[in-house]
Amino acid sequence: MKQANGVILATVLATAAVAHAQPTPDTPPAGAGGDHPVSPEPDAHRAPDPAPSPDGKVDPPVDRYTAPAGPAGPTGPTGRAGPMGSERPPIDFPEVLRIPTGWLLPAAALYSTTSVDTGGGVASDYRVGLGDVAEFGVATTDQVRARDLATDKPERIQPYIVASFRLGVAEHRLFDAQPGVTLGFRKSFERTHSGEKSRIAELTLVASKHLGTRAALHLGGAIWDASLQATEAAPGEDAAPEVTLHGHGYGHQLRVFGGFEAQPLPRSSILVDIGWAPEFCYQCTEPTEKIKLRPELSWGVRYQVARFLHIESGVRVPDIGNFNLLDAQIFGQITLTSYALRTAVDRLK
Amino acid sequence: MHRRVVTLLALAAAARAARADPATPQPSLGAVFRRPIHSPRLFAMPSADVVGAYMLSLSGDASLLEKPGVLTSAGVVAIGFGDIAQLEYRHTEAIGVTGLDAPVPAVGVQLTLPLPERRGLPAIGIAFRLGVPRRETIEGMTVDETVTDLYLVARLRDDHVPWLTLHGGTRISSAKAAPSDPALVQQRTLVLPTAGYEVAMTPTAKIVGEIALAPQFQWKPATSPRPAIGRGLLGRLGMRWQVLPSIVLDGSLGYQIDDAAPTDGFDAVVTWDIRLGAEVFVPWGALACRAVGVFCE
Repeated sequence: MKQANGVILATVLATAAVAHAQPTPDTPPAGAGGDHPVSPEPDAHRAPDPAPSPDGKVDPPVDRYTAPAGPAGPTGPTGRAGPMGSERPPIDFPEVLRIPTGWLLPAAALYSTTSVDTGGGVASDYRVGLGDVAEFGVATTDQVRARDLATDKPERIQPYIVASFRLGVAEHRLFDAQPGVTLGFRKSFERTHSGEKSRIAELTLVASKHLGTRAALHLGGAIWDASLQATEAAPGEDAAPEVTLHGHGYGHQLRVFGGFEAQPLPRSSILVDIGWAPEFCYQCTEPTEKIKLRPELSWGVRYQVARFLHIESGVRVPDIGNFNLLDAQIFGQITLTSYALRTAVDRLK
Repeated sequence: MHRRVVTLLALAAAARAARADPATPQPSLGAVFRRPIHSPRLFAMPSADVVGAYMLSLSGDASLLEKPGVLTSAGVVAIGFGDIAQLEYRHTEAIGVTGLDAPVPAVGVQLTLPLPERRGLPAIGIAFRLGVPRRETIEGMTVDETVTDLYLVARLRDDHVPWLTLHGGTRISSAKAAPSDPALVQQRTLVLPTAGYEVAMTPTAKIVGEIALAPQFQWKPATSPRPAIGRGLLGRLGMRWQVLPSIVLDGSLGYQIDDAAPTDGFDAVVTWDIRLGAEVFVPWGALACRAVGVFCE
């Protein structure tokens, strides 16, 4: 019996030796063609292979949004959702308070923000990062305002639903001092309000640069556009004439915007931005008075409550051209970020 | 005792014979979907590549913003026919009488010339698309729009700038507008240049841009008795992200003409558009091999 056991043991060992691990049969050979590199099967979670970059160098397989090492607190550099023990890189927010930044969400990162203010304004914004080079979002904005006559007090049109798509190059991507740059486009669905159909659109180019680890500067330009048309035509007309902002020339469309943020404490940031928002005047007779852009000032603070949760509060002045503190609104805002989708995608890979 | 030894030796021999053989692979389902993929298009522009043998590509994109209340969409179904050809059903770009970039359906075949890949030598592709009529209604009148295309496209890569791929080509388009009254039928052949580029930004994401002229149908029955056929400019800038090995997501913003307002220029940002889409690659040959043991070669 002992002899038999010995033979069995020897056979099992021999079998094990013969049946050693085989290569994955259909793993494409190195250098196999294709539009994109393909991960070998044995380790789908490994970092992707390096790809050629626009500067001709081969990048190491790291996330380009990883914060540079520095003395930042648990929140990371200014404006970033800090990792706080997470393996995921910090997220540079796509907005200061009202203006877009030159930073994009990382691939498959989710972002949402909801705000209310003392004037009854409610706004929500939902975005997802696409491939570390773009992001898509849908939002309801409370920035668009309208009045019947030039002497009336403007009222918000809400909800005003917009979709956005931004494309860009991450900070430090091409060279060390390179700011993050994004080309963004935001366009609304058509909205009917007080018998007038309106639409807005905004094309932006913005650059954002970290100044050290606790401050950042944002500067951009925008081409705004909007259209306004009565839903009912005047007697004898097929359709009411449409008034557009682009019909009045670039001088009425081009605007500069900017913002600044500083992080005096590890979890707290101070934010200031100046942007623009369209305003309609339904009964104004001059076409150039029917659609106007108003400068908007916002300032406030952001506090990181948890890795995924930030709260913001501050003041908005909807029209600083007509500086009236009675128009100013105090707002509160909650921002959530998540890598849940990215985790799910990684698992599927 | 001897019988046991013989049995064990037989088992060992069987194990040796039955070990995995690279020549006759049994790929897992995950491995099947991780094969290299070749997309035969940028956004709307065909590239010089074909989807590949035993591969099926399903793709589509859509926009709600182009014209209020109207969902415009476009799709492509392409199936590899050997290594250098593919058969396809697609929506090809044309601007309709209502001003929309509402794609016209077409069936076609796309070929890539089997030229060796050499530095400075572009890959060449040829695509023929036989138009299927699309009916539009304007001011109570109907018109059938048909576009049949012959594409000649080239794709150029250079070792010095491996992150950049350039595409260029010409679309020879025979466009036909057929109102219900046969006397009003209009037909015109157009030569339409098209160009595009891809910039690899990460291992899985590319920035893609393309610009093209497309047939533009124009007709206002109240003022002009006959439809007209001209050229319209379409441009798109966006990204293609391989979110999973066989799924590519598309996102782009586009300069398009809507509301039948061809006088609007670049500054008419309110007529621009955002489109989202995806392309899914189905290795049907490998799946058939796994399922019923056919197409395994």
